[in-house]
Amino acid sequence: MLSVCHLYPDLLNLYGDRGNVLAFLQRCRWRGIPVKLSEIKMGESIDFNQVDFLFLGGGSDREQNLMAAELEKHRDKLKEAVENGLVILSICGGYQLLGKFYRTINGEEIPGLGILDYYTVAGEERLIGNVTIEIELDGKTVKATGFENHGGRTYLGNIKPLGRVLAGYGNNGRDGTEGARYKNVFCSYLHGPLLPKNPEITDHLIKLALKHRGMEAELTPLDDTLENMANETMLKRMLK
Amino acid sequence: MRLCLSAAVIGGKISSLMSKLAGGRGSSLPGVVARRIYSRSLKKLASQIKSGVIMVTGTNGKTTTNNMIAKVLEAGGRRVIYNEEGANLITGITACFVRFSNITGSLDYDYASLEVDEASFPKVVKEVKPDIVVVTNFFRDQLDRYGELDKTVQVVKSALESLNDVTLILNADDPLAAQLGLLTGHKAVYYGIDRQEGTERAVAQTRESRFCPRCGTELHYSYYHYSQLGGYRCPSCHFKRPKPDVEGTDVSTVNGGYSTRVCFSEGCSSINLQTAGFYNLYNALAAFAVGRLLGLDNETVQAGLERYTPAIGRMERFRYRDKPCLLNLVKNPTGYNEGLATLLSIPGSKDVFMALNDNAADGRDISWIWDVDFEILARHLDELQSFTCSGTRAEEMALRLKYAGVPTSRITVIGDLESAITVSLQGEAETAYLFATYTALWPSQSILCRLAEKEEQHAVGMSSVS
Ligand SMILES: [Zn+2]
Repeated sequence: MLSVCHLYPDLLNLYGDRGNVLAFLQRCRWRGIPVKLSEIKMGESIDFNQVDFLFLGGGSDREQNLMAAELEKHRDKLKEAVENGLVILSICGGYQLLGKFYRTINGEEIPGLGILDYYTVAGEERLIGNVTIEIELDGKTVKATGFENHGGRTYLGNIKPLGRVLAGYGNNGRDGTEGARYKNVFCSYLHGPLLPKNPEITDHLIKLALKHRGMEAELTPLDDTLENMANETMLKRMLK
Repeated sequence: MRLCLSAAVIGGKISSLMSKLAGGRGSSLPGVVARRIYSRSLKKLASQIKSGVIMVTGTNGKTTTNNMIAKVLEAGGRRVIYNEEGANLITGITACFVRFSNITGSLDYDYASLEVDEASFPKVVKEVKPDIVVVTNFFRDQLDRYGELDKTVQVVKSALESLNDVTLILNADDPLAAQLGLLTGHKAVYYGIDRQEGTERAVAQTRESRFCPRCGTELHYSYYHYSQLGGYRCPSCHFKRPKPDVEGTDVSTVNGGYSTRVCFSEGCSSINLQTAGFYNLYNALAAFAVGRLLGLDNETVQAGLERYTPAIGRMERFRYRDKPCLLNLVKNPTGYNEGLATLLSIPGSKDVFMALNDNAADGRDISWIWDVDFEILARHLDELQSFTCSGTRAEEMALRLKYAGVPTSRITVIGDLESAITVSLQGEAETAYLFATYTALWPSQSILCRLAEKEEQHAVGMSSVS
């Protein structure tokens, strides 16, 4: 039984990011892999040892602040879980929060959880639009598409990016990197949501989760015609 | 000055004519031209309205509510001008006045009833002073505008604060709209729908701000109608759902429409709507509240509401051979969830058409479809025969249905709108139900007008739902 944990869905329900959780669950179910979802609400305790896949999304400023305050209480255990190989997908605001700090327009530094080595600086203009990136997964190159919408520019320290920007802005619109990756943690600015139309990433996460649980990690192939069509439409449009 | 205005109006009218000759709809062009010729056109034209200006703003229901208000006032013998659907920016509103004015720039009307885009609201009220402002609701819309719901509410609130002597008509069930009474201190009339037995709707829906606008504490709800609309109160301060001055109770569905008892300070009456969609009850209650406030009697208000014909895509009805077809505009998760609830309320089998475009007016980010509760469809597959996905993001729409649990064997992807609509119309189900995002709506409607017959408002195309 794989256990999927969606953190604070009652708070962070912006931008269809729950589609990521849905994609993970469905692709397990379609293969007969038993899976269960727990949605953690504010104030509830979490045992990261019981979790195989953790999803952390983003929200509007107010919700983001509430989430930051809440997660701060779990910080040490979360860091330990990350080091132990917990599979995490973190999008947009959740991505920023795992880093060192967020510097506002006024120069004020709001501390993040400091689990991963990067920081974010607020910019004047939001970086908005369709985006295409190239990711290495098990030595295979995959092109993923999504939609980004962030005011913050993230700069990576001693950590790998998730992928390379082919079209769009990515982390900061300058260095061509998108997202961050550390052990089994995957961070990205891609909404869309990311997983449904990028099934190779989803399956990669499922494999990692199975492995982390000590289970057989060979996946039955699925019919991904619609997934690939949806991705192709955007690849064609963006990489003309 | 009068000459300037006259020149502006003539310029506007000519541009409208030219644009129509060129085949355009030209709904805001006359406004653009008139404003360029004489920047005070709108102000001057609007000042001639004799009895009052009503504005309708909010996320969903502006067009329907505004049209209903106009029908109610007309039923009371008042002369009303109101803006065409979609033309709710300052140019569209100017165009509306230009259209109704004669060439010397004079207008002879009692009321102007105007739907106004939320973001344009501050600009519009600088030129036209409203006597009544209806705020329908606030939902997340067009998601490119990140996290801007709070900002939108703020913009409307500040603009309202700048006004004197205005009466607000507010949705009591939406904490985001209802709070405006308290926050601005203006006189407010609230409308809402009482708790309904057995109509507890999908609980898993994405909801907007569940936090108290006064103190930030999470609101407690005793029931929901849909999204964040329902019965709420703040556990730490005294903010709560205001007791509606105009309240719908005992809602029932009749002949594909809705009927409700409506109670107010002087007694009760009823509203019968020919239009499907629970949300339309809110629009009707808002129009009812405006009618009451302006001194019209219940019979007149009811007659006006019965005269209301849905604007394009607001549950517009067509008939293909013997098959009823309904066209439903969708632009955000809340509206889509309500559309799905309406689809499932229709008896018999259905062919479903879903057009998803990602042009600027639709919102270039289509992630919002993942916040729509399409999972509800997977629980009613016995009555849903086919799903035809179309538009610029047809594949993504199909993918959403697949992950919602709809078998791919029932899903067809056809990018071209006309071919896709044809497939749905020719499907074997009893009814065709068509969803379209904003920029897919007009082309879908004109295709339907060609392929099928448009139905008159009272032609009840469906058997009774009870
Ligand atoms: Zn409160």
